[in-house]
Amino acid sequence: MIRLVLRRVGLAIPILVGVSVIVFLLMTVVPGSPEAGLVPEDATPEERAAIRDSLGLDDPLPLRYLAWVGNALQGDLGYSEQRRREVADLLGQAWGNTFVLALVSAVFGIALGLLLGYLAGTRRGKAVDRLVSVLSLGGLSVPSFFLAIILLAVFAGGLQLLPSGGADFDDPLSAARSLVLPVLSGSLITMAITARVTRAGIVDVLGADFVETLRAKGLSELEVRRHVLRNAISPVLTTSGVQIGALLGGSVLVETIFRWPGMGLLLYNAISARDLVVVQGATLVIALTFVVVNLLVDLLQAAIDPRVRGTMS
Amino acid sequence: MSQATVPVLLPEAFGAGTTDADRQAAAKLREEWNAHDQSVRAQSFWKETGKRFLRNRTGVAAAGIVLLLALAATFAPLLTPYDPLLGQPLDRLQNIGAPGHPLGTDEQGRDMLARVLYGGRLSLVAGFVPTVAAALIGTVIGVTAAMLRGVVQTVLMRFMDVLYAFPAILLAIAVGAALGPGLTNTIIAVTIVYIPPIARVAEAATRRVVVQEFIEAATLSGASRFRIARTQVVPNVLNDIIVYASGLVGVAMIIAASLSFLGLGSPPPAPEWGYMLNSLRGTLSTTPLVTIIPGFFIFLTSVAFNLASDALREAMDSRL
Amino acid sequence: MTDTLPGPTPVDVPAPGTATLPKRPLMELLDVSKTFSVRNGGRRATLSAVDGVSLKIWPGRTLGIVGESGCGKSTLARLITGLHPATSGEMVFEDKQILANRRRPREVVEQMQMVFQDPSSALNPRATIGESIAFPLEVRRRPREEIRARVSQVISDVGLPASYARHYPHQLSGGQRQRVNIARALALQPRLVVLDEAVSALDKSIQAQVLNLLTDLQSEYGLTYVFISHDLNVVEYISDDVAVMHLGQVAERGPARRLYDQPLHPYTRLLLSSIPSLDPALSTRDQPLDRSNGEIPSPIDPPSGCRFRTRCPFAMDVCAERTPPPVLAEPDHVVACHLYTADENGVVPRGVTESVARRVAEGSEVDAAAVPEEPLPDPAP
Repeated sequence: MIRLVLRRVGLAIPILVGVSVIVFLLMTVVPGSPEAGLVPEDATPEERAAIRDSLGLDDPLPLRYLAWVGNALQGDLGYSEQRRREVADLLGQAWGNTFVLALVSAVFGIALGLLLGYLAGTRRGKAVDRLVSVLSLGGLSVPSFFLAIILLAVFAGGLQLLPSGGADFDDPLSAARSLVLPVLSGSLITMAITARVTRAGIVDVLGADFVETLRAKGLSELEVRRHVLRNAISPVLTTSGVQIGALLGGSVLVETIFRWPGMGLLLYNAISARDLVVVQGATLVIALTFVVVNLLVDLLQAAIDPRVRGTMS
Repeated sequence: MSQATVPVLLPEAFGAGTTDADRQAAAKLREEWNAHDQSVRAQSFWKETGKRFLRNRTGVAAAGIVLLLALAATFAPLLTPYDPLLGQPLDRLQNIGAPGHPLGTDEQGRDMLARVLYGGRLSLVAGFVPTVAAALIGTVIGVTAAMLRGVVQTVLMRFMDVLYAFPAILLAIAVGAALGPGLTNTIIAVTIVYIPPIARVAEAATRRVVVQEFIEAATLSGASRFRIARTQVVPNVLNDIIVYASGLVGVAMIIAASLSFLGLGSPPPAPEWGYMLNSLRGTLSTTPLVTIIPGFFIFLTSVAFNLASDALREAMDSRL
Repeated sequence: MTDTLPGPTPVDVPAPGTATLPKRPLMELLDVSKTFSVRNGGRRATLSAVDGVSLKIWPGRTLGIVGESGCGKSTLARLITGLHPATSGEMVFEDKQILANRRRPREVVEQMQMVFQDPSSALNPRATIGESIAFPLEVRRRPREEIRARVSQVISDVGLPASYARHYPHQLSGGQRQRVNIARALALQPRLVVLDEAVSALDKSIQAQVLNLLTDLQSEYGLTYVFISHDLNVVEYISDDVAVMHLGQVAERGPARRLYDQPLHPYTRLLLSSIPSLDPALSTRDQPLDRSNGEIPSPIDPPSGCRFRTRCPFAMDVCAERTPPPVLAEPDHVVACHLYTADENGVVPRGVTESVARRVAEGSEVDAAAVPEEPLPDPAP
């Protein structure tokens, strides 16, 4: 198991490097000059060159990348002139908020999806099955920002039940109430995909020979179901990494609409203001979080499912 | 009527036998079969897939909706007299069913029907073009990697892994943010997001195909690797790629709408559905039904694409 | 219209079994080996699939290659046809030399075709029968009219109605698909056809039909066959010469009749004794070789010396020490077994061969010291 962990971590490192290279390139090769916001309109070419030089903008790309990664590794992601804050500071605060939102959404979406998928898979062709398939089709097809707007209209606008946005973290109850709508709108797609995968897995396993064997051995239906669920859960775990990624990425939309002070909102504001240092930092941190989450999911799966352990080593 | 076609099993014993009499009898049998065989249909995979798809009522209905939306968007000028960009300030915030404005008007008095129809052009293009482009590029990458193996495979597929390590929407937003707003840039961004998963599907399918004996047979005939890829491999991985890619069109539309919602799509006042939804948020309390129209159309198109894709998958899922 | 088809004029070759062999083999393999590098439990290892095989393939005849699964038969087929490059060794096709790891001359490639084992994977499922057969001709840029004529010609030659050209593989039965595979191999009019387990996937009755077809085509087209199979009965039926393979090496080779009547190598004997018999009097159950260890050693780490020694009831010390050289035991009959190794010239006096063969056949334990009048060579230092 320790060898497996080391191996998976070893495989993740080149991915992490690749991710950082792409984030760096995206924000470096953008059209328009990066110093535009820093240089006065009426600057002479010499002044302009001096500023470019001080920022290292004329160095060859690999050198600039190394400098950037070196700083990033020490926790220095640059300084946002527009926000007048260290990017790392801005991200540090936002990361926790996004993480809470994504985690609650993932747990909620996956748990609900498992339940629905299990019900549909064990009652194939019945009304429940059809209802779940309609629900998951809807969940796959509705954009989270559209759902968010509808939820806002109903619960915050019409019924006045829940806050429309923002969050007061000093009051846990209020924070929890603020979490409800973002979680609902973000996790619907997670629920839909999980339900589909679970249902397919259950149907698959129920058709397997070993289930007949279990029944023949005289196990109670409840015990049989337990075995079935355990065997059907592996594909759910496989997709759950991607799901959390979708939630992290989707946070940009959900947080924007609900003014949830996480990385997504930060990224949205930075994009609107063309504050590239913050865009770069936020993109990097979200992507890195995703890589780490996937790594953890892989390891968790290996711990649970011996078949996966076999193929990975 | 909806029974699946059973492949016609053709008789086994043509040309069996060791004596001349046997052989002549067999030759006669072949002649007879030649005549009879004119009535046996050749069962091409694509034709059979098409037939099975057409038997699936949900799939046909979904494909019909997509077609209808596409036609309506294409012929928008014939369906509405209004200009989607020009508003009548006096007609602001008309509700659904208002005279002259069946879908109401937006906050600037622009006719919603016109905006939805014209906007359909942008949304459908943003759903289709990146998927098709990514399918082409991803297929080339995946097939090349799996056929050349070695360093080429490692470099290409590890690069795909890195791109795949980004959450899809985040990568699209990052590319969109780097390139700036605009429909072309949205298309480029979504294409880049879709290339890695399609390349993976193509690579996996190619690895399954290249170990089959007909590839060795083609190699023995002296065909170049490019020719084998083109004539033997691609036709056999295409169904996997089409099934997978067809499921991406709806999501592509949603991602494009998300980018435009965030202000990274076609610059205003272009009637892109995602942007319309965002700009109408303020009118939610006055004309809520009008506000959700663009969202409804995104939803409808996406559902139609997903249903059509499911039907396509079922139609292709045969032992052929 | 009758079945007599204007095929190519049969090449003038002596009928199988006649005494005068043509002077030169169509193809000759000299000490050909193939290793693959594989991952064995996460570690890199070398798999020796074919090891030092020397064979002669005579024109117009059928060379049968027989052995258990995993003995390297299929790899040998792919070495002969050039689908795999050999790791070492040399091949000669007519007068053209084929060096390991060197691109084959086009004239050689064109003369060889292969018929594959699995009728369902040997045909492109997205192409019609006609397209599959036409493909090699298109690669050669033959004129379209010629291709069309040739396709219906070979389809008829393998006993299928010409109208099958427009059908897809899944519409055909296994036996019909195998006929199509044969037709494709014939399209380019090759001299040598390698058949890799060509009838193994078929029902017995269909097997017989396809085998008859193959013999017919051989005389019609003047073909040379290399027929690879694990099925001893089928190999006996179709082959003029037979080579027995064990773990990548040729244990014994010779004319089919003689090899089946008087097997020399203990492994050949084991194989032949495992053919099921319906006659209880001939039951093979109590044959002494059945006592041998049935576990086939892994080609990743094959036993030293003779690769059969771990399963051989006659194993001697020398068997672990050195690889038995091929010995000419009878005219055209070569065996690689230390029971038959004799002097430095590699010739064993007739009497020895027969006495050992008899003992092997009778299953009596061969006492190494008691075997030959000639002393065994000293174990290598």
